[in-house]
Amino acid sequence: MKNYIKLVNFEFNRFFKIYLVLIALTVVVQLVGAIYEGFNYVDFAREMMQNQMITMEDFVRDYGPMSIYSFIKTIWFLGPVAICVVTLLIYSLFIWYRDWYGKSTFIYRLLMLPVERIKIFFAKVTTIFLCVLGLVSLQYVLLFLEHAILERIVPGPLFVNLPISSLLNFDFLVILYPPTFIEFLLYYGTGLVFLFVLFTMILLERSFRLKGIFLAACYGAVALTLILAPLIINDGVGGYLFPMELFLIEVFLIVFIGFVSVLLSGYLLKNKVWV
Amino acid sequence: MIEVKNVTKRYGRKKVLNGVTFTARKGEITCLIGVNGVGKTTILKAIMNLLPIDSGEILVNGERPDKHLYDKVSYTPDMLIVPPNLRIGEAMEFMADFYASWNQERAEEILTFFRLNRDDRISELSKGNRAKVNLLLGLALDIDYVLMDEPFSGIDIFTREEIANVFTSHLVEDRGVLITTHEINDIEHLIDRVIILDEGVIIKQFDTEQVREQEGKSVIDVMREVYNR
Repeated sequence: MKNYIKLVNFEFNRFFKIYLVLIALTVVVQLVGAIYEGFNYVDFAREMMQNQMITMEDFVRDYGPMSIYSFIKTIWFLGPVAICVVTLLIYSLFIWYRDWYGKSTFIYRLLMLPVERIKIFFAKVTTIFLCVLGLVSLQYVLLFLEHAILERIVPGPLFVNLPISSLLNFDFLVILYPPTFIEFLLYYGTGLVFLFVLFTMILLERSFRLKGIFLAACYGAVALTLILAPLIINDGVGGYLFPMELFLIEVFLIVFIGFVSVLLSGYLLKNKVWV
Repeated sequence: MIEVKNVTKRYGRKKVLNGVTFTARKGEITCLIGVNGVGKTTILKAIMNLLPIDSGEILVNGERPDKHLYDKVSYTPDMLIVPPNLRIGEAMEFMADFYASWNQERAEEILTFFRLNRDDRISELSKGNRAKVNLLLGLALDIDYVLMDEPFSGIDIFTREEIANVFTSHLVEDRGVLITTHEINDIEHLIDRVIILDEGVIIKQFDTEQVREQEGKSVIDVMREVYNR
């Protein structure tokens, strides 16, 4: 356990500079965006009210009020979120390939550590997962700040004071901030299993190189098919299963795929991966 | 003792090792010699379980390699294997964190021996000093065997001398050393045993002292005979 924590710490430190850049980018872009969007909306409202000789109430009726919900649909909000998601996805590949093809061949040292090699796998998964949780938490705090900024800039009659908790039921935010613990386990568990599968695919490629690319593609395809099969089959037979039955089957399959991926990765790291 | 028994390894269709069998003993310097691409590095990687073999067996002190192997054997490849953004001191701390066999006193001694500065960033070091850092991290472990892959490759004559001095120092005393090198001149007089490889096959192995005393030949003389040069 101690070695695992040390590995996580080491992996995290290697990503730390990029992570700081992501945090800074998100904070700066979203807060600047909130200020810009707030003033922009107020200017637009003022111009429209002057040009069309309408009241605030008329403007709100015609053009809609400003709210944090309007803001989260702008590029100012979605841009940094997309950049963080893409960066973390790329880093999920980079976290392994860097050790083979980086400025140093650190994979030699990693594989020669006197620890169970599966701990390297878990340390890398944990690093990515902690980074995701960190960014999601940061985003949560930023939502309150952005809400406060908009509330301060936009005059009361033009602003709809939506509570942040109600906002979390919208769109993708419901996945980032699941309302119940079961949903948290489901969404984040699925994300974790996705990482397990991705890492297993990388290790297949690192073990069998060219043939490994084919094996990795097959493994990914089988995992995806297994997850989608119950949904497709159930649709095909006109919804034979109850939603709860379908849900339990999906949960079982996700756990099964995660378990197989960890076992396979452990085997590959111990016996097949080469440098 | 490191025992390599009838080891075979293929890369695709190419057989890189073909029934390779030899032993490397504690307290001896064993040198694997051969031209490029004959499988020297492959053998070292196989011993360290960094490369799966197709058949045969490798034993270290009579046991099959597992995670405890790395507290008995260290391997120094001919490339940097720690993140270059680390300082030498940080790389040492990393090793100390993970290896029960890390010997800080010995590490400090090697640091002085190689005239390295623990505050220097590895990325800013010359190739020769990077090679020294690699050796430092391998030699500072209290282990039975040291494996070195081309430690003299691409470095200047003075650094080569410094590294060669390691072999006559107490730093490798009582350990088994298995080394691959082209630069046989630098350490010829230090080697106890030579294994000559060609096309993945051992074509000759001998004790240097025996050859010197009984046949009056140097390692290079034997190599010339073997390769008809």
